[in-house]
Amino acid sequence: MANLLEVRDLCVEVEGQEILHNVNLTIPEGEVHALLGPNGSGKTSLMMTIMGYPAYKVCRGQILFDGEDITDLDITERARLGIGIAEQRPPTIAGVKLRQILDYAIGGDPQRADELEALVQGSHVESFLDRDVNAGLSGGEIKRSELLQLLATRPRFAMMDEPDSGVDLESLELVGEMVNWLFSKDPARPAKRRAGLIITHTGHILNYVHADKAHIMLDGRIGCSGNPRIIFDRIRESGYEECVRCILEEGEGE
Amino acid sequence: MIADDQIERADAAALAEVGVFVEGGERSGTYILRDFQPVCALTETEGLELLPIAVALEKYEWLKEKYYWKLVPTDLDEVTAQVASQPEPQGVFIRVRKGCQVTLPCQAALYMASAGIAQAVHNVIILEEDAELGLITGCVTGHGVSRGTHWAVTESYIGQNATLTNTMVHSWGPEVEVRPRAATMVEEGGTFVSNYVSLRPAGDIQSNPRTWLNGRGASAKYLTIILASKGSVIDIGGEVYMNADDTSAELVQRGVSTGGRITQRGLMVGNARCRAHVDCAGMLLDPGGDGLIQSIPGLKALHPEAQLSHEASIGKIAPEQVEYLQARGMEEREAISLIIRGFLEADIEGLGPELDARIAEIAELAGHGEEK
Repeated sequence: MANLLEVRDLCVEVEGQEILHNVNLTIPEGEVHALLGPNGSGKTSLMMTIMGYPAYKVCRGQILFDGEDITDLDITERARLGIGIAEQRPPTIAGVKLRQILDYAIGGDPQRADELEALVQGSHVESFLDRDVNAGLSGGEIKRSELLQLLATRPRFAMMDEPDSGVDLESLELVGEMVNWLFSKDPARPAKRRAGLIITHTGHILNYVHADKAHIMLDGRIGCSGNPRIIFDRIRESGYEECVRCILEEGEGE
Repeated sequence: MIADDQIERADAAALAEVGVFVEGGERSGTYILRDFQPVCALTETEGLELLPIAVALEKYEWLKEKYYWKLVPTDLDEVTAQVASQPEPQGVFIRVRKGCQVTLPCQAALYMASAGIAQAVHNVIILEEDAELGLITGCVTGHGVSRGTHWAVTESYIGQNATLTNTMVHSWGPEVEVRPRAATMVEEGGTFVSNYVSLRPAGDIQSNPRTWLNGRGASAKYLTIILASKGSVIDIGGEVYMNADDTSAELVQRGVSTGGRITQRGLMVGNARCRAHVDCAGMLLDPGGDGLIQSIPGLKALHPEAQLSHEASIGKIAPEQVEYLQARGMEEREAISLIIRGFLEADIEGLGPELDARIAEIAELAGHGEEK
């Protein structure tokens, strides 16, 4: 399948300091990839850079979406091309309700309003639908709110940052289900599965959704990529330190 | 219905902007002053009386004896002196009879259709015992009218257990000087709600309405929402004197400056067992310009059981909030408008659809940085 997202030799700075180095990542249409790595390794930064957050400055390299160079596009333009994100720590906005954002996403389409209503009920967000977005929500509520927004915007490429962290087991069930809705076949293009990128460091979410490939990020670089199960089992057994060693060895061998 | 020859299409459009509808619109009564001429004063609602003030003064002797210039002294300042010196008073007299609850809103428009004129009006509103009235007051300049002065004295009397909700929407040209002088007296169990929305960037507004809560359990609530763009100087306050036990007052101010100067004031004076709160919040969206917001909430207690509090904050829009909404597909401007609208409405409940629509307009204007 054609590549939907291509990150080529990407270097990114935040406040003048380079935090991502020569990152390469390719995600074909219809594939969901997992991004693993210890805290502070650059996973969130990569996701925010792909979304176009201006604090993350691309100092070298390119991001291509559906073959088009989007490196210089702003967030809105990228969102409208079909890139979406569920953030780990979204901001609260006084007076702006979750419902308003969802209504915006469906753009007054009555058919989509029915669909949204079903999503709202299925994701158990009624209690905070008319409250300020993200204000005073529990970990699980934030995940549901973010995933619901992502579902409502119907992205072609859906990114989510740690959907399984800070969530109790009961909530994880529902979060897993929502992630599955997101990556089930796209109703607008039934022949294809939606593509995406999931950051996880516990890996719990991979029990709910099939990932085609996993990448390990270490110190601002993608160290290795491969079968998600095998990679995750290795990490569980020997931790990221083993990855570091393995990657270093590989580097020496080259 | 209002005669077509008196209100032209362009006038009707200007009036609609401030919530006053020439036709259609569910209204219990209508008063329209166009420049110096009352073009309409009518009501078909039982218990609601609506007359040009000059007519009412002739009809009712008691009006002058008990109400006219009794809350506001003629020599308060140059505004009251100017209004008092009018050979024939302009303005509206509204009375709701005892026990009448007027469910549809009544509308009054003070409309400046010609440039450079000086309107000086005097309104008297009386709600008798147990009466209820929702009033929409729209003050607006016609299309293309940028200069003028609008001076207005409004005296309101709210009887026992009566409720007056006055929603005032201003939409003035950029060089209009606006000087309202409002005073309200509330008797036992009465309620006064004053919503004030300034939509377009008036040149110069200065207002400090006073309310006396003179009967036990009386209450007052002020909500002020203003947009000040470049060149505007807007100074709005509100003073509430709580003179009887169990009275309460709340004053909420929200201001957005895109380059204008806003002063938010509020003074709560507790002369009895009472509660009051002042809440001022401002948002300055004017990088490197002349914009200014100052908040001066004030409290004065003269009774040991007066509980008075205030809060004030001035802030900006956080970029991460805008970016978050952009990631949902909004344009930067759309995101800023939504955030401003949220700021203006935050913690304010039950605005109603008309006020809500005005606030959406303000947010839209502010989000675009410059006025139309």
